[in-house]
Amino acid sequence: MKLTRRDFVKNNAAAAAAVAAGVTLPAIQVAHAATGDGVDADGIRWDKVACRFCGTGCSVLVGTKGGKMVASQGDPDAPVNKGLNCIKGYFLPKILYGSDRLTQPLLRKKGGQFAKDGKFEPVSWDEAFDVMAEKWKVALKKDMEKNAGQPVDKMISSVGMFGSGQWTVWEGYAASKLMKAGFRSNNLDPNARHCMASAVGAFIRAFGIDEPMGCYDDLEHADAFVLWGANMAEMHPILWSRLTDTRLTRADCEVHVLSTYEHRCFELADNGMVFHPQSDLAIANYIANYIIQNKAYNEEFIGKHVNFTKTPTDIGYGLRPEHPLEKAAKNAAKGKLSKISFEEYAASVAPYTVEKASELSGVPAKNLERLAKLYADPNKKVSSFWTMGMNQHTRGVWMNGLVYNIHLLMGKISEPGNSPFSLTGQPSACGTAREVGTFCHRLPADLVVANPAHRKFSEQIWKLPEETLNGKVGYHAVLMHRMLKDSKLNTFWVMCNNNMQAAANLNEESYPGWRNPANFITVSDPYPTVSAMAADLILPTAMWAEKEGAYGNAERRTQFWRQQVKAPGDSRSDLWQLMEFAKRFQMEEVWPAELLDKVPEYKGKTLFDVLYANGQVDKFPLQEVKDSQGNVYDNDEMAHFGFYPQKGLFEEYRMFNSADNIIKKGHEMAPFDDYHKARGIRWPVVNGKETLWRFREGYDPHVAKGEGVKFYGKPDGRANIITAPFEPAAESPDKEFDLWLCTGRVLEHWHSGSMTRRVPELHRAVPDAVVFMHKNDAKKRRLRDGQMAKLQSRRGELLARVETRGRNRPPEGLVFIPWFDASRLVNKLTLDATDPLSKETDYKKCAVKIIKV
Amino acid sequence: MNICSAIVHARPEVASVVQAHLEAFEGVEVHGGADAGKLIVTLEGQGDDALADTMAKFNEVTGVINTVMIYHYCGEEPADKEVMK
Repeated sequence: MKLTRRDFVKNNAAAAAAVAAGVTLPAIQVAHAATGDGVDADGIRWDKVACRFCGTGCSVLVGTKGGKMVASQGDPDAPVNKGLNCIKGYFLPKILYGSDRLTQPLLRKKGGQFAKDGKFEPVSWDEAFDVMAEKWKVALKKDMEKNAGQPVDKMISSVGMFGSGQWTVWEGYAASKLMKAGFRSNNLDPNARHCMASAVGAFIRAFGIDEPMGCYDDLEHADAFVLWGANMAEMHPILWSRLTDTRLTRADCEVHVLSTYEHRCFELADNGMVFHPQSDLAIANYIANYIIQNKAYNEEFIGKHVNFTKTPTDIGYGLRPEHPLEKAAKNAAKGKLSKISFEEYAASVAPYTVEKASELSGVPAKNLERLAKLYADPNKKVSSFWTMGMNQHTRGVWMNGLVYNIHLLMGKISEPGNSPFSLTGQPSACGTAREVGTFCHRLPADLVVANPAHRKFSEQIWKLPEETLNGKVGYHAVLMHRMLKDSKLNTFWVMCNNNMQAAANLNEESYPGWRNPANFITVSDPYPTVSAMAADLILPTAMWAEKEGAYGNAERRTQFWRQQVKAPGDSRSDLWQLMEFAKRFQMEEVWPAELLDKVPEYKGKTLFDVLYANGQVDKFPLQEVKDSQGNVYDNDEMAHFGFYPQKGLFEEYRMFNSADNIIKKGHEMAPFDDYHKARGIRWPVVNGKETLWRFREGYDPHVAKGEGVKFYGKPDGRANIITAPFEPAAESPDKEFDLWLCTGRVLEHWHSGSMTRRVPELHRAVPDAVVFMHKNDAKKRRLRDGQMAKLQSRRGELLARVETRGRNRPPEGLVFIPWFDASRLVNKLTLDATDPLSKETDYKKCAVKIIKV
Repeated sequence: MNICSAIVHARPEVASVVQAHLEAFEGVEVHGGADAGKLIVTLEGQGDDALADTMAKFNEVTGVINTVMIYHYCGEEPADKEVMK
């Protein structure tokens, strides 16, 4: 019979879909199916790679032919996505091949010299790093003079770096080491500050250890699902697909959806609830109150495993200290917990009756009661999911905690199906940003810079003399832009993110800070993003599968991949850039003489020698990288440096979480080589075995027989229930600015669109930013669908096309704008109000007005 | 040649109606799966844009709960080349 290329490929495509769906298609002839390793009949080499986009952590098979990626498929052997793939993952290979890909360093110049007001000109890596290092040396010298005689917890720093939850694990680790051990600066923060900081804060406060106790297997074990500020259908489509399967195949399974506007998840919702912004605080407290009033709480569980506490209230909004809201706050940024009794806790939530919650939220009482009953039913296993709706919130840490309160009151935690689950937005917000210490207050494996014992332990692993590490918490993401504007942060390296577009209040803070003549800004990116164009130096980056990599997803799963293709032109990976830049510094230029006197053997060496050629990172010699079928892969960094840096960095990092003398147990990881063979492994990994549910006997190796449940992140093994009240948002609509503005994403775009916007297909589907609004709100302003409208806030304005019938349907009084569009920068409008505890910006609430143009 | 496959999730009771709607799109074939509420779909497009636009529209079809992609091939060779007789 005749078979064309079309038939052949189409059959493969349909067969792969049928296998993934568990559907039999008799008519399909399977010529071949892609497998994890090896070369197929078509001459395509297939290998597994973790997806570049969201925090779900799907595994994708990518097909390479002639040095180019030509095909992709959801990985059938991946426990996360089971052969499925969403539209973003599907277009993955194309993000490498955008027509405007950067291939050489670009420096602003005038008359052959660097000039802040110059135009971008192509330069060599040598010239780029020469100019950049010169600027950093000026700042470091000035810092050393100011820090002379100061104790380490009073040290200032005017150098900084803004990293990423999209960095690979070893890139984040190498950056953390460069900044904290090398430059002795804690001015390192990741873009994960914008998405996960509130979740982190709440984990540490409630459990003393970061990241979810459950895992994605909860999606098949739960009887009911509650979404608190997560549009999973668009943002985590693969998890949504698993949830949908459970909802449609399990009798009595129900889905509750809470949001400030209707979105695609409402199609599956049995109880959809649209609440007024900020009133989620009242709803959560009402549920706790309902549980207590009905004596539904699990008395044995709270007696054995829980402490009741309260947090200071009236804590401000994380704005500049001179802002009237900060001056008015009684307990600005305070968060120290104090113990209370169960009765005091019960009294604190008692005011949150269903009437009050309904009044504050606008949600009908019967919907709230249905939700409360679900949580209070001891026979229903409930999984709660949330993402940015709860994290990007000026009371984000509180709000995360209020949901833990509900689960802890019922003991519905740390077992299959009973799971409060904080989803992540970025592919390695957990694995990199949170775990290797890229936050301005953190060191690897949940250690913190302010703790002298943690610093000492880190200094030992890193072979640093005592009192090397800076003990003062550095500038967090939002503060970085303020300090750039105030000339206190002078050299700034932005890697693997698009913060000029992503940070709030662009007009008043971000842009003036970056273009301040006192500062030198470097951006490393594969594409000319808004951030790159606002920099002084642009460094072209090798991305994703152009290098060997590792990501850690939201369920604690660490996944590795091999380098699949070469990066174009002179682009180099972030790892190469970090390590090469370290070669530019003599130790005498970064450390004062009295510190070097403690380690005379470091004198005359470079920062590279001390950090990366330290006998640990350079321990593993050049070798061939092979898959199980014997295919050989490039590793451009290994070829360049002459040792296996990814392996050396990972094994050194493992000393923080897996060595015999570790300070905090519970983050153990497997040896490097194990991950190349597996579809990811969930930590803690003890005796070669991964952990699915933490803190419960039988699932978690750290909980001994007979202990039942133990929240071992806390010294007494008890989790904290933390009471916190409803407090209003930083800015609410008023007479002039009469609408809430909520920002977010749509399915086809991810993050700021710096990659997905390169793919014409994705771009076509949602070509321009639109403002989603209620038809009555449009009508009142004499606006029709498709018309351009002007949005104004107290900080800026922009134009967007009105959409009243789209997939996002806001209630009257609220509008929604996706923030991926570089030509309609929604952060000109937003306010840089942050959660005072987590320092995470609230991108979901500010006041705007809309006028016809 | 630009071909991909997808699973379109729909409630089983309306899956056959959804199937008819999907088949009305150019380049779309439904290969089965209506009974399980998981339609096995392939799409073929000349340019990349048309194909992606079509997929984006799936989610607007009444009754569609979710669309997931499975396989994508994007090669430069002609689709009508015979590979087997």
